[in-house]
Amino acid sequence: MKVVLQNLTKIFPSRDKKAGGEVVAVNDFTFEIPDGKLIGLLGPSGCGKSTTLYMISGLQKPTSGKIFFGDDDVTELATENRGIGLVFQNYALYPHMTVKQNIMFPLENLKGADKMSKDQMLERAYEAAKLVQIDELMDRKPSELSGGQQQRVAIARALVKMPRVLLLDEPLSNLDARLRLQTREEIRRIQKETGITTVFVTHDQEEAMSISDMIVVMKLGVLQQIGKPQDVYDDPVNLFVAKFLGTPPINVLEGEIKGGKICIGGAAVLDAPGVADQEVFIGIRPEGFELDENSALECKLSNVEVMGRDVSIVSTHENSLNPVIRSIIDADNKVDVTAQTVRYNIKPHKLFVFNKETEERIYF
Amino acid sequence: MVESKHQWKAWLYLSPAIILLLVFTVWPIINTVAMAFQNNYTAGLGTAKGVKIAYEIGVENFVNVLQYENFGQILKNTMLLCVATVPISTVLALLIAVALNSIRPLQKFLQTIFFLPYVTNSIAIGMVFAAMFNIIGLREGNTVADTWGIINNAIMLFGGKPINWINQGSTYWANMVVMIVYIVWNALPFKILVLLGGLQSINKQYYEAARVDGTSRRRILTRITVPLLSPMIAYVVITGFIGGFKEYSSIVGIFGDTMGPKSEPGRLNTMVGFIYDSLNAGTIGAQGKASAAALLLFGIILVVTMINLQVSKKRVHY
Amino acid sequence: MENKNMKTLTAKDLQQVSTASRVMGILVKIGTYAFLIAMALIVLFPFYWMIISSLKSTAEYRRNIPTFWPEQFVFANYAQAFEEGNLWQLFKNTAFVGVVSTILSLVITILSAFAFARLEFKGKDLMFGALLATMMIPGELFTITNYLTVTNLKWIDTFAALIVPFLVSVFYIYLLKQNFMQIPNELYLAAKVDGTSDLKYLWKVMIPLALPTLISITILKMMGAWNSYIWPKLVTKKESMMLVTNGLRNAFTSVDGQANIPVQMAAVAIVSAPLFMVFLFLRKYIMAGVSRSGIKG
Repeated sequence: MKVVLQNLTKIFPSRDKKAGGEVVAVNDFTFEIPDGKLIGLLGPSGCGKSTTLYMISGLQKPTSGKIFFGDDDVTELATENRGIGLVFQNYALYPHMTVKQNIMFPLENLKGADKMSKDQMLERAYEAAKLVQIDELMDRKPSELSGGQQQRVAIARALVKMPRVLLLDEPLSNLDARLRLQTREEIRRIQKETGITTVFVTHDQEEAMSISDMIVVMKLGVLQQIGKPQDVYDDPVNLFVAKFLGTPPINVLEGEIKGGKICIGGAAVLDAPGVADQEVFIGIRPEGFELDENSALECKLSNVEVMGRDVSIVSTHENSLNPVIRSIIDADNKVDVTAQTVRYNIKPHKLFVFNKETEERIYF
Repeated sequence: MVESKHQWKAWLYLSPAIILLLVFTVWPIINTVAMAFQNNYTAGLGTAKGVKIAYEIGVENFVNVLQYENFGQILKNTMLLCVATVPISTVLALLIAVALNSIRPLQKFLQTIFFLPYVTNSIAIGMVFAAMFNIIGLREGNTVADTWGIINNAIMLFGGKPINWINQGSTYWANMVVMIVYIVWNALPFKILVLLGGLQSINKQYYEAARVDGTSRRRILTRITVPLLSPMIAYVVITGFIGGFKEYSSIVGIFGDTMGPKSEPGRLNTMVGFIYDSLNAGTIGAQGKASAAALLLFGIILVVTMINLQVSKKRVHY
Repeated sequence: MENKNMKTLTAKDLQQVSTASRVMGILVKIGTYAFLIAMALIVLFPFYWMIISSLKSTAEYRRNIPTFWPEQFVFANYAQAFEEGNLWQLFKNTAFVGVVSTILSLVITILSAFAFARLEFKGKDLMFGALLATMMIPGELFTITNYLTVTNLKWIDTFAALIVPFLVSVFYIYLLKQNFMQIPNELYLAAKVDGTSDLKYLWKVMIPLALPTLISITILKMMGAWNSYIWPKLVTKKESMMLVTNGLRNAFTSVDGQANIPVQMAAVAIVSAPLFMVFLFLRKYIMAGVSRSGIKG
């Protein structure tokens, strides 16, 4: 089921009643989620990603704009009629019911022609439980399960009625680091097996990048960029997106465009033909550096971290906005640890130039 | 923690409480049990006057209580009031609390109104209820009345027949209905307060999850709200039963010390009323009998509470 | 599990479903408010009836068809109630008992709660457990012996009999102790380092921090004095020593026949007024205290 958001806007009245005013949580979103894909809504807290998810679910009504499931306009449709499955951040499993009862609960609500017999419901519940591999735990209460198991029950409960769209709110945030890795693979697998269009919300870019078919990057209620994770990473539209994606994060330096050349502190690092002279921000991915003794860009070497496959070089430069510049190079390169400085060559497709005022990307 | 050489300080601070508790709580427990098991106990007053009587240990007091001609009636009254008022007030309070919890405007205002009966004197408002049910100026033969009282007025408005609720010649069941109405009215505020507090502490996400699944309102109430609220419900039921077995002053409020219509004094007497009657009688063995009755009441409350806890263990989700 | 999509709804279906559910929602809202307002009126009715009845003349009150607003306000009923019920004396007695027992009770409760919350001494847990155990026993069990005790002490018809036996409430000690325990112990240790005495620390730090609980206790204790019936009835024989509830029931006791109900209602209104006033101003504390206690008065 394809999901389309059209000029979606959500405005909350300000909490501080005296001050008045309002908070725009989601500002004029338009994008399309293709059928059967796994989509990550990504952004720092307060960017409106959860509000977007809740509007898709129907638990919150948009202030303006429309939501379509396929060709159906569901904007005015009540939550229960949308055919969605929602997994809450803290799972919201009913504590007084067993796992089985929790999973069967949505089925028991079906009315009319959809009504099922007890056996059918059990069959469906076991099917869903098997899918998330908790069919051994059906008679336990949620309080007797680990966080990861509760998560699976919540997913099974959302899947059991075969939703048109599956929504997950920060699905991994309540799990420890080890479980997180495991569970995100699990979500990927379940999504692939069921083929259900799935939208999940996260503030962790690594999480979103690793499993999503597409990511949607948001900031302060405004959509920044949407695309395949690798595309967004390789081709960010602005400084925010560039900074938000990638570990270690992108290195940002002040620089300028002068006579068609990109200069950092006087050192010309790349050609940028046809771009007017101006001051800019320059973002360089850690993997975008190459050691080159003849290069113009010189940084003070402060530390070298050998990580087996790669070497991470920590250096400083007076134009850097971050305290240090971190570069990752192949371990085959020999780095002179005792040297005072290090010189870099920059790979052109790993360097992005941004307007100093608007922070928008300047293409060249 | 704090150095132990100041132990005496702790005991100094505790001393007023301990002394008072020893005299007015611990000693009474011992003494009440002792009195209950001494035949013909005639109060410590005797010894104070220098008259020494040899007491006999026995269960005569309990036998006296159980053989008292009206004891069956008293037990029946107490039980009936409990069994009728606890479920009615609990269900009503639950409905009101759920309704209150589902609204925004007027919530605080209505909540305050529903709490009002709590801050009243149960004897004083009992007199108001008595006035509302009273038939004034009833003459001989139950025939002529100047007014039927507002409750009867209301009944007649809807085409019913007026009932003699609490006056001379009224029936036992009419009396009971009045008591049940009054006790429920009195019991609602506390129950609503506790249940609403419980409702407000239920995580909203359970309701959002239920909405996503298209759960009907009735099923949300029976399958989610009530189970999640069950500890609170158990609490109000148990305290309701304990209070119900100690019902006394609400009856005094409506019927006065006669504990029943003038023509039938004592018809609505309860266990607690019986204890005070025995104590006030001042006859030989009065205190012993009162003590035995008090222990019996304690025993009943204990057993009922145990049963309640046993039932709730199966039904209550903690 | 294959993804059997729910049947695709047509635009018209969608419109109908959402309208139906919206209408349903509005109906439920209306029903909820109707139910609540009806219940609120039932709850309020006795108060309304008390007030309008207290202002009617006897003749008007006894009319066959009741009036819902007095034709003529007979304020004299209130004067008569004051006089007949000797209400002024009852108020004075009750206020005295209420204030004195509240103050003494607060002192005892604070000292005990402090000892349990902050001091270490042998047998503390045992002692506290024993205190809690007494809470399970119904008050009726104590009354008989306490009645004998105050009789032997020749306290009948004295304020001592009305005040002393109920000064200690285990429940209030428990409540305050829990509250004190929430105050970080470091504050106490810091005060010790500075050489602050226990009492000064109590007064300057713990009492201000536990003020809401103390206010709740105060109000409940005052309400207790105002509403108590059984014990005062046992230990006061003289009218001059009676508390308000007993006096009220005594003075206007006739259920049948010719009782002057408007005057009686005036007396009830006068007696109820102080608690209502307190409630209006301190609603928050009362409701907080009550929801934790479950004990009336």
